[in-house]
Amino acid sequence: MQAPQDDAGAGGTGDRAEAQGGSRNPGDSGSAGSSEGKGSLSGPGHLSDPRGLEGRSGCDGQGAHGGPESQSGPAREGAVGEVAVATPQCEQAAHAPGSRGDAGPMARGSRSRLLEFTLIVPFQSPLEADMAHRSLAPDTQRQPGVVQKEFTVNGSTLTIRWTAEDPVLFRISINSFLDRLSLVVRNIQRLGLPASLKQGRGKGPES
Amino acid sequence: MPVVLGFEGSANKIGVGVVRDGEVLANPRRTYVTPPGTGFLPGDTARHHRAVILDLLQEALTEAGLTSQDIDCIAYTKVSKILVPISVLLGPGMGAPLASVAVVARTVAQLWNKPLLGVNHCIGHIEMGRLITGATSPTVLYVSGGNTQVIAYSEHRYRIFGETIDIAVGNCLDRFARVLKISNDPSPGYNIEQMAKQGKKLVELPYTVKGMDVSFSGILSFIEDVAERMLSTGECTPEDLCFSLQETVFAMLVEITERAMAHCGSQEALIVGGVGCNVRLQEMMETMCQERGAQLFATDERFCIDNGAMIAQAGWEMFQAGHRTPLSESGITQRYRTDEVEVTWRD
Repeated sequence: MQAPQDDAGAGGTGDRAEAQGGSRNPGDSGSAGSSEGKGSLSGPGHLSDPRGLEGRSGCDGQGAHGGPESQSGPAREGAVGEVAVATPQCEQAAHAPGSRGDAGPMARGSRSRLLEFTLIVPFQSPLEADMAHRSLAPDTQRQPGVVQKEFTVNGSTLTIRWTAEDPVLFRISINSFLDRLSLVVRNIQRLGLPASLKQGRGKGPES
Repeated sequence: MPVVLGFEGSANKIGVGVVRDGEVLANPRRTYVTPPGTGFLPGDTARHHRAVILDLLQEALTEAGLTSQDIDCIAYTKVSKILVPISVLLGPGMGAPLASVAVVARTVAQLWNKPLLGVNHCIGHIEMGRLITGATSPTVLYVSGGNTQVIAYSEHRYRIFGETIDIAVGNCLDRFARVLKISNDPSPGYNIEQMAKQGKKLVELPYTVKGMDVSFSGILSFIEDVAERMLSTGECTPEDLCFSLQETVFAMLVEITERAMAHCGSQEALIVGGVGCNVRLQEMMETMCQERGAQLFATDERFCIDNGAMIAQAGWEMFQAGHRTPLSESGITQRYRTDEVEVTWRD
């Protein structure tokens, strides 16, 4: 989905996220989906209205390679977030629950609507992707089962997939995650990867 | 001679501290202050912390005159028992600030290839109190915006003898400050303390000690009502109310601390936590201690108020005792109570 012009932005593209800059931290360039961790996320550019998602994307559900390279400001070292959103109401997206590989508690026949959001973050190296994963994954939901997060590391790419029924908690989880992701990236940039780790020696602290 | 770096950010203070063998080498801190009449919310607090934490880390190293090579362990607040009545919509409790700090601790630990140590916030306060004051085995009164507990050490646990059954005493004071629109700079409690010194009239408030425990939410509701009524008729001044609130809640704290001391036969009392900065509380506790022939210990605002060095100090003790927190188990939690930690570093 290309740069959404309407309010119901699913975090959109770098341009859009930049525009929402406002109170961004210095050094944060536009990550996919600006995030104000407060929780009252009703401003434009936030992952605000799930109904908007379904209204817009129709059945191009899968494809959301909306992130132009403009997102990678110097501060990010090319860590660009792409957003792919599957719309539950759409036929194609009906694959999405199935693709989780389990029949699970998803009530396909009913009107219960499962919201999904996938964030694909390319890092500069597998080491960084792995590091970010280990930094971000341990803080699990306080209400397990309400919002599910699935992490995958593939080479230099970290992928996170959210599923939830409650749109508010869904939104909060994604937005606050994006804040922490941004912090991790800044952290790595600011301290820099030590040479020993770069060469692949030493696995870092026990996982 | 291990050197431990500690991160703390569970409430509105964010601090990074460095401790080496009982010496505090650095302890920079920033406080997120909100306008009068408001309190701090998790999302905004987290944003504040994220904005300054990397600078603070740098400051701490510079102040300590150290580099990453010199650090042996990264400690961070893993457990905070801060109970803030915030609706589910905003995210439960103060998880956001805590998580923001935790991700940095994990990232730094990986970048520098150092072991990670998750610390219980309350134990951080206690261990720093013991270090700074030299108290050997005190009955601890832990009082802050998020916690109110009377604690004594016994057989490898910090046992909770008494606590609040609803809100923390600091929370009661902070919320009363909001009602009067008292400034939050440097902290609402400090400003209440200054105003209380000008109070002349004691307004009678409910006194709610329940056995070994205390309750503050009723007092808060009461004084909020009273404030509205009495201030408009001029029956009392805001200073009188600050004075009355302090006298009442502090007397309650003294009572439950004394009860615990009597139970344990303790000759030492230690006050930790932000409310411990309050000189009036210290005076009242001192009076009680003198009457019992016991000794009172307290720290100054550098260590009473949440800070990074206290986490580093507790981390130092734990590190020496062999504790480590694997990354996969380093998730933050607000569920573990002070008395669930095994204190292996004391006899």
